[in-house]
Amino acid sequence: MEPANTFCHHGESKGGILVHLERLETQRNKSHTKSEELPRAQTSALGTKCHELRRLRDKLRAEVKQRQAAIKASDQIVEFSGQEVLERQQGTLKAILQAYHFTGLSGKLTSHGVCVSISTAFEGNLLDSYFVDLVIERPLWIHHHSIPVFIPLEKIAAKHLQTDIQRFMFSLCEHLNAYSGRKYQADRLESDFTAFLTGPLQRNSLCNLLSFTYKVNQEHQALFSARLLYEDLTGTLPTDVTVMYQGAEALSNSWEKHRLAHERLLLTKPLHQVFASFSGEENLDLNLVS
Amino acid sequence: MDETVAEFIRRTILKIPVCEMMTILKTWNFLSESQLQTVNFRQRKESLAQDLLLLCEEKCATVQDMALLDIVYTQVHRHQKLWNVFQMSKGPDEDVDLFDMEQFKISFKKILQRALKNVTVSFRDAEKNAVWIRVAWGTQYSKPNQYKPTFVVYYSQTPYAFTSSSYLKSTLPLLKQALTIASQHHQIVQMDLRSRHLDSLQAIVFKEYNQIFENHNPTPPLQERSLGLDKNMDLRIIHENTLEKERIQRVTQEAFGDYPQPQLEFAQYKLETKFKSDLGRSILANRDEPFRCLIKFSSPHLLEALKSLAPAGIADAPLSPLLTCIPSKGMNYFKIRDK
Repeated sequence: MEPANTFCHHGESKGGILVHLERLETQRNKSHTKSEELPRAQTSALGTKCHELRRLRDKLRAEVKQRQAAIKASDQIVEFSGQEVLERQQGTLKAILQAYHFTGLSGKLTSHGVCVSISTAFEGNLLDSYFVDLVIERPLWIHHHSIPVFIPLEKIAAKHLQTDIQRFMFSLCEHLNAYSGRKYQADRLESDFTAFLTGPLQRNSLCNLLSFTYKVNQEHQALFSARLLYEDLTGTLPTDVTVMYQGAEALSNSWEKHRLAHERLLLTKPLHQVFASFSGEENLDLNLVS
Repeated sequence: MDETVAEFIRRTILKIPVCEMMTILKTWNFLSESQLQTVNFRQRKESLAQDLLLLCEEKCATVQDMALLDIVYTQVHRHQKLWNVFQMSKGPDEDVDLFDMEQFKISFKKILQRALKNVTVSFRDAEKNAVWIRVAWGTQYSKPNQYKPTFVVYYSQTPYAFTSSSYLKSTLPLLKQALTIASQHHQIVQMDLRSRHLDSLQAIVFKEYNQIFENHNPTPPLQERSLGLDKNMDLRIIHENTLEKERIQRVTQEAFGDYPQPQLEFAQYKLETKFKSDLGRSILANRDEPFRCLIKFSSPHLLEALKSLAPAGIADAPLSPLLTCIPSKGMNYFKIRDK
């Protein structure tokens, strides 16, 4: 800054500092009034635009923040549910494998082959299960099993095991299901219909020969003896039925009708159902014959 | 009541331990509940036997009733007899076996009675469609000896029959014939399998001893096969040979499985092989005839003992297949010859 005396020296040229400041002030005042002269509309338009832009900026900022937060959260969820989903899937698969048991034929791989499980059923009742542990080699062989000794496993294996394993399984299933079914009928007769039996039920291991004496109702002395043969080991109904009348009363026409009716019933219906019909409707027999 | 019958019943009652008396008499089902209640079971056995005999006299016990008591007693004390196993066979394409138990019994009895006039045959049905048969043997001229009967256990529609060892060797062919024909088989062969444990013999021939199967259903998890080292182990103890121990455990498990072994008392090996010696000039070596030798392993539970040999360090694992094949081959009498 020039010393004050120089200004005083050149006082006339510029007017000194104070004059300079005065000049600046007037210049400012002029520009102020000039700005006041700008159209109101333009100012407000700019203002609104500014406002608008600010709002947009805030909105974008908020959105960005939201997205970031969402990503963070979803990162966590993905981590968490990955584990859970796998476990849930594993649980479902295990349950499905266990449920295969109900289809009657299921298997599990073992270190040397496969362990097949055969579940038998009759009339919607799940009965015994049997296992066959196969070693997968050439030739296929059975490591051990839980098939009863009177089921002709060796015969079935000799026929089908090496050539057609599906047929082997199917044949074995047939035999086992039929055996279970026959056993079920015999067991039911022995347990549920003791009132009708007048002596012990004679049976054998395969339940393919049943022999028993029974009466239809308590009043009459009419006794019948029945002998059921199941020559088809894959069937649950007898192939041959002989019913003989052994009552104290003389053999009348009606008892003969009963006898024939019983023979037919026993040939066509499961054993326990026949006796259930005896305890239900007595006239069922006669209707069948006529 | 016949004197022989009375004496036999008396002797049988004296054989029965007091704690089993009630059970056996009830199973016998000859004396009624009310009759049994009149007896004092706490008195001395001789007096008890007398009382029971009087009751049997009242009911007129017959030879068949006495035989039935003998069967019941033997069923409870089956381990007192040594059991043999017979295997029967049919032709290849036989018809379906329609086994009729009554027919079997009639047929069996008829065959024996036709051959030997004096024979007592009795039957008792058992569980799983089996029948226990008791045969007391006589000759053309003498009455049956009730004190040396043969017992037979037969499961219907199976090829196996189990008989108690008989002192009378001459009766065996007739017994075999009766069994074969009555059960509608063609041939019968005695297996090289004997034991006092009838149930174990059945488990072996019916292949019921290994009932562990892998399946998807939840089963109690197989225990971590502990080598007996982990529990209560002091951490200051270090086992040097864990790898070897684990190998032995694995090999033993492969040979014997995880299931309880059937119970046999002995395994007998008859060697008819030439004597082999490292020393060149031994009296026994360089002979043409085989060196006959009999090796017999005895144990209250032979197979469990064999199973524990390798883990106990007494034998090398794997054990000789001659020892491990016993249940799978169904043999405990072996003849070994040079190849």
